[in-house]
Amino acid sequence: MPLLINRKVVEDNWTLINEDAFSEEGVVPAGDIIVPLALFTEHKESLAARNDQVAIQVNGDDDLTQVLENLEQFPLIAIDFPAFRDGRGFSIARLLVRAEYKGEIRATGDVGQDRLAYMERCGFTAIQISDDLFKPEMLNAFEEMSNYYQSATDSVRAVYHQ
Amino acid sequence: MYQYNEVDQKLVDERVEQYRDQTRRFLAGELPEDDFLALRLMNGLYVQRHAPMLRVAGPYGMYNSTQLRKLAHIARTYDKGYAHFTTRTNLQFNWPKLEEVPDILAELASVQMHAIQTSGNCIRNTTTDQFAGVIADEIEDPRPYCEIIRQWSSLHPEFAYLPRKFKIAIAGGPTDRAATQVHDIGLHIVKNDAGEVGFEVLVGGGLGRTPVIGQQIRSFLAKEDLLSYLEAIIRVYNLNGRRDNKYKARIKILVKAMGVDAFRELVDAEWEQIRNSDLKLPLTEIERVKNFFTPFEYDEAAATDTSLEQKLAEDESFRTWYERNTVEHKEAGYRITYISLKPYLKPAGDVTDAQLDLIADLADKYSFGEVRATHNQNLVLADVKNSDLYQVWQVLAESDLARPNIGTLTDMTVCPGGDFCALANAKTLGIADQINRKFEDMDYVHDLGDLKLNMSGCINACSHHHVGHIGILGVDKKGEDWYQITLGGDDGSDAALGKVMGKSVASDEVADTLQKVIEVFVEQRFENERFIDTFHRIGMAPFKEYVYAPAN
Repeated sequence: MPLLINRKVVEDNWTLINEDAFSEEGVVPAGDIIVPLALFTEHKESLAARNDQVAIQVNGDDDLTQVLENLEQFPLIAIDFPAFRDGRGFSIARLLVRAEYKGEIRATGDVGQDRLAYMERCGFTAIQISDDLFKPEMLNAFEEMSNYYQSATDSVRAVYHQ
Repeated sequence: MYQYNEVDQKLVDERVEQYRDQTRRFLAGELPEDDFLALRLMNGLYVQRHAPMLRVAGPYGMYNSTQLRKLAHIARTYDKGYAHFTTRTNLQFNWPKLEEVPDILAELASVQMHAIQTSGNCIRNTTTDQFAGVIADEIEDPRPYCEIIRQWSSLHPEFAYLPRKFKIAIAGGPTDRAATQVHDIGLHIVKNDAGEVGFEVLVGGGLGRTPVIGQQIRSFLAKEDLLSYLEAIIRVYNLNGRRDNKYKARIKILVKAMGVDAFRELVDAEWEQIRNSDLKLPLTEIERVKNFFTPFEYDEAAATDTSLEQKLAEDESFRTWYERNTVEHKEAGYRITYISLKPYLKPAGDVTDAQLDLIADLADKYSFGEVRATHNQNLVLADVKNSDLYQVWQVLAESDLARPNIGTLTDMTVCPGGDFCALANAKTLGIADQINRKFEDMDYVHDLGDLKLNMSGCINACSHHHVGHIGILGVDKKGEDWYQITLGGDDGSDAALGKVMGKSVASDEVADTLQKVIEVFVEQRFENERFIDTFHRIGMAPFKEYVYAPAN
């Protein structure tokens, strides 16, 4: 799946896993992995023993209190968009930025061309797009609008401060 | 009114090109139907029963004459020669072609208009009092704040995919003419004990399937905190509103489920974090926007006019219109003048291209080039000199725009219903005609006084039937149109939800049933009492008994 960072397609070293990736002993093969929060909580100890990096994936249904209190644990937090109309991820990204999270904030799930610019404005630093939706020309979406009225987490200031 | 600067113009221009590309990709099969649906909704385009419907934003109801002429041109060129004003003070075209919509949007952008966020699950057009700036009882003109909200909410990156649509209304003073209590957020401009002007904030009102009156979340909000507080409310809603059921996704459901106090705690906690951010409104910005809404240079000599008195004495038809369709202006010698879009036997809120042109001419000649739309689907020329009223009336009357029925039973608010709308359960336009025929006698209708009749073709309540003094709701019973009648609703300062009178009535009995309701009112009424006041005094029982009495 193509991954965009700084508006460019880059190589992705992370693998998003589900429970099938765990062996009966609760072990996951080597490599940097992204684990859905519930699964992460369930296998916390065995995951902590790994040599490779472990990141989490959250969505709007998760209670983020624990996550926000332990941000430095995670090199990457993926925020999932389970459906096109589910906009909770935009607010979650802003909460992470506000909490001064320094790792990668990655969008996963239902991510199409027409929300790329909004995602960037809300603080996503990486956007994963499914193979069937990806086209090189969709990168133009970042430049369709050259200005906005309101500030978000990017460098655009509110129009009354411009 | 507000004039675009380079930033505003560039934004709408770029948006047109963005939408042009989205349409191109959809027509080329590159953009899935479902994704295009959400995008076209955010640009005001619905697919209706017969054709797409394009909803153009009329920011807080303001239109200038150049814009009206452009809308007339669009109606002629891209549509069937007419358009429809909505209860959100927007304007709808019912027959545009999907592939021509980008061109229509470009035409709109050329006169500082757009269709951004007129539908979809985002922050919609903010509405306000149609008398803003010209009525004596307001504390401050609400329109600058509407414009500030318009800018902040336009293309807001975080709030484009809310659980459901989100509507804000502002009243400029103690008299609520903007139905603020049935909005997701209602703002009332108030003065606190220290004499500072700010906002009382209500949250969680709304109509639709679950009608709710909004509750106070904050008694006083300073002006500079307006945007940070709105952002805090909507962020809390975005994160916590229900996503599993679209009928339970409005903020009113969240506020009800949590209780307003618990909801306030969440909002206040969020607000503390962002109060002093970029969202804090500089007073210079408020002043900048206010400068677009300063009072016109009124003619002091207008107050000395005597011709109006003379015309009123001479011409009874004119006097009737004057009494019903004009309102006292804060400036002596001027009247606020309604243009009735409720003619006899024609759809409420519809205007033809020729009427739009004519209204634009009237605005230029007599009212500083501006027109306002009301949430009851009429228009207003806000600043007409007393000495010009007779001429204005004559011109309006020639074009069927002077029916003297504002605020009366035939000033019905009616959605397009089953004839046009894909969501409707029942037709509304024929029922409106039926009622108009029954109550054709204008003298009788005038004697009945202020009476708000709202009719919706389905439970989505686009015509606010819950808050009509009399409400009519179309329902589907085994494929037939039936109509449920509610009494006692109000969308003003004493907002209330109407109560169902009894079992629904068949489509050919609506006007007769209404006649019976009116008979009870006339029988029980104290002198000059309004229908709603009589209802509050005597309650539902006398109406119910008489209307449903077995025939013998």
